[in-house]
Amino acid sequence: MSSLKLTKYNIGRTFIYSILIFFAFIYLAPLYVMFTTSLKDIEEIRSGNLMALPIDPTFYAWKKAWSSACTGSDCRGLAPYFWNSVRIVFPAVIISTIVGAFNGYSLAKWKFKGSEFLFGALLFGCFIPFQVILLPMAKLLGMLGLANTVTGLVLVHVIYGVAFTTLFFRNYYVGIPTELVRAAKLDGAGFFAIFRHIFIPLSTPIFVVTIIWQFTQIWNDFLFGVVYSGSGTQPITVALNNLVNTSVGGKEYNVDMAAAIIAALPTLAVYVIAGKYFVRGLTAGAVKG
Amino acid sequence: MGSISLNGINKSFGSTEVLKNINLDIKDGEFLILIGPSGCGKSTLMNLIAGLEDLNSGEIIIDGKNVSEESPKDRDIAMVFQSYALYPTMSVARNICFGLEMNKVPKDEQASILKRVSELLQIDHLLDRKPGQLSGGQRQRVAMGRALARSPKVFLFDEPLSNLDAKLRVEMRTEIKKLHKRIGTTIVYVTHDQIEAMTLADRIAVLKDGELQQIGTPYEIYNDPVSHFVADFMGSPGMNFIECIVKDQNLVIESGGQKYELIIPCTEALIKSNLDVVLLGIRPEMLTEIQPSAADNSFVQKIKFDVEVIEPMGADTVAIGQWNENEVMARLSPESGNSAGKGFELQVDTSKAILFDPNSGLRIR
Repeated sequence: MSSLKLTKYNIGRTFIYSILIFFAFIYLAPLYVMFTTSLKDIEEIRSGNLMALPIDPTFYAWKKAWSSACTGSDCRGLAPYFWNSVRIVFPAVIISTIVGAFNGYSLAKWKFKGSEFLFGALLFGCFIPFQVILLPMAKLLGMLGLANTVTGLVLVHVIYGVAFTTLFFRNYYVGIPTELVRAAKLDGAGFFAIFRHIFIPLSTPIFVVTIIWQFTQIWNDFLFGVVYSGSGTQPITVALNNLVNTSVGGKEYNVDMAAAIIAALPTLAVYVIAGKYFVRGLTAGAVKG
Repeated sequence: MGSISLNGINKSFGSTEVLKNINLDIKDGEFLILIGPSGCGKSTLMNLIAGLEDLNSGEIIIDGKNVSEESPKDRDIAMVFQSYALYPTMSVARNICFGLEMNKVPKDEQASILKRVSELLQIDHLLDRKPGQLSGGQRQRVAMGRALARSPKVFLFDEPLSNLDAKLRVEMRTEIKKLHKRIGTTIVYVTHDQIEAMTLADRIAVLKDGELQQIGTPYEIYNDPVSHFVADFMGSPGMNFIECIVKDQNLVIESGGQKYELIIPCTEALIKSNLDVVLLGIRPEMLTEIQPSAADNSFVQKIKFDVEVIEPMGADTVAIGQWNENEVMARLSPESGNSAGKGFELQVDTSKAILFDPNSGLRIR
């Protein structure tokens, strides 16, 4: 009897695992192709099988993509644009997260006349497509003298990101009991002291969620990057596009693949490092006092 | 020190009037209980005293100073919340000292206050723990410790025991009473539990639908309630209410298949009221088995009582039957009560019976 059960169990398990492995394979196949292709030389790519492992792996394509591939007429590789992206992403993520935390805290725990309307309006900001704000934003950046600058791009991302970060923090803070605020008020703490001593220490999960979200959004942004950057301030996504579209002689698929992986690496790294907090943060919220 | 005067307090949320013209004077060092059914406005009144809600009209005077417009921190009040509201990321010690820290009390003074308070509440072994690692009773103590640390003029307790199990609740009740004896600070305490109110209070204020029904000592509230509502609210098992026809200044009841005329103490008021039908209120402990010692009391009568249900409670047994088709509870000794049935010989003592106008619910006196 027990052996029969065991067999049934095994068949079920085998079935489930094979399906999971099958879909995982389909999901990972493009990454596999990109990675193997980036390690092949151009001759092997032309003659060989797409799925085959590289016969003689080489990092030539990676080196070229990083430091000497041409984007348009500029042949310095992706490196300068990578640092452009870093210089855009870090301030934009930090500022939009801090502003969002303050907004969320105020809207959740210090309600004032019209605060619900304000929150609704901010929420609306999450649903405004990028394309709609392109022209007015270009005009604004021009007026501020920030057109084609890294600072300008930071400003755009902060403004666009605050709607999301506010939403995240507000919904997280709504779950924190208001009695904590009342107790702290009676203890003599004010708006900032309560935020600093009580809310910030409770906020690790939502900070991680917001930072991952903002980092991914801003790093992967292409449209704002292509519209508002000048020739020297383009982020890596725009440079990647230019690199792939610039053909000097034949198409170098290996360099394209290596460049694409380089462009995606930071967001991958963020997920690997903080991914477990991401899941935890999305499901957390309830604080047991 | 910590006297409180509430003068003509009104509060509404939108179009709902939560509190209507509340006037209440609380003496320094008094233990005042605000009691009422849920939604009567008792918690709102407490939040108004604390300054966590704004008044619509009226004034709050603490220790001779009008604080109606002042923020919570300037009122010198500490509050213990129903959910305890301990800061979850801080240790017990920091929870207790947070108020001192915010008020810039020097570190060494904080340490000595922490020592005194934690020893008083016997939580000195818990100081490094986080609230999440404490049991309900321990959290309760820490919440009280946080309130005590600042030595405020007034303590507010918002249903502090309602999250504890029955046994712990009785223990903490005694502790709170001892604590009040020791420190002598004014306490305003909100509850919906009438036993808590009876055992703890110097005076009880009964609220209903945002109106103050009665203020008095537990004895007054229990024995001399102003209305049907107050009489019904206090006491467990509750007071019996029987609709009776008035006949020659006596009340006619039908019990155990026979008619009786009950003699009552407040006949003058009854005559003055000119009512044909009144509501008789009599506490279950006035209905007992026959006791020879009560024989010469002129208000004591013997009647037949058909017991339908008995509820043994250990110390005594509640027997339930009917008078005039109104449910009546009698409080019997277990010896005679546990075997009570049809035609039980009941002794009725009407010396503390009270009468209500069945239409308005107000006392006839």
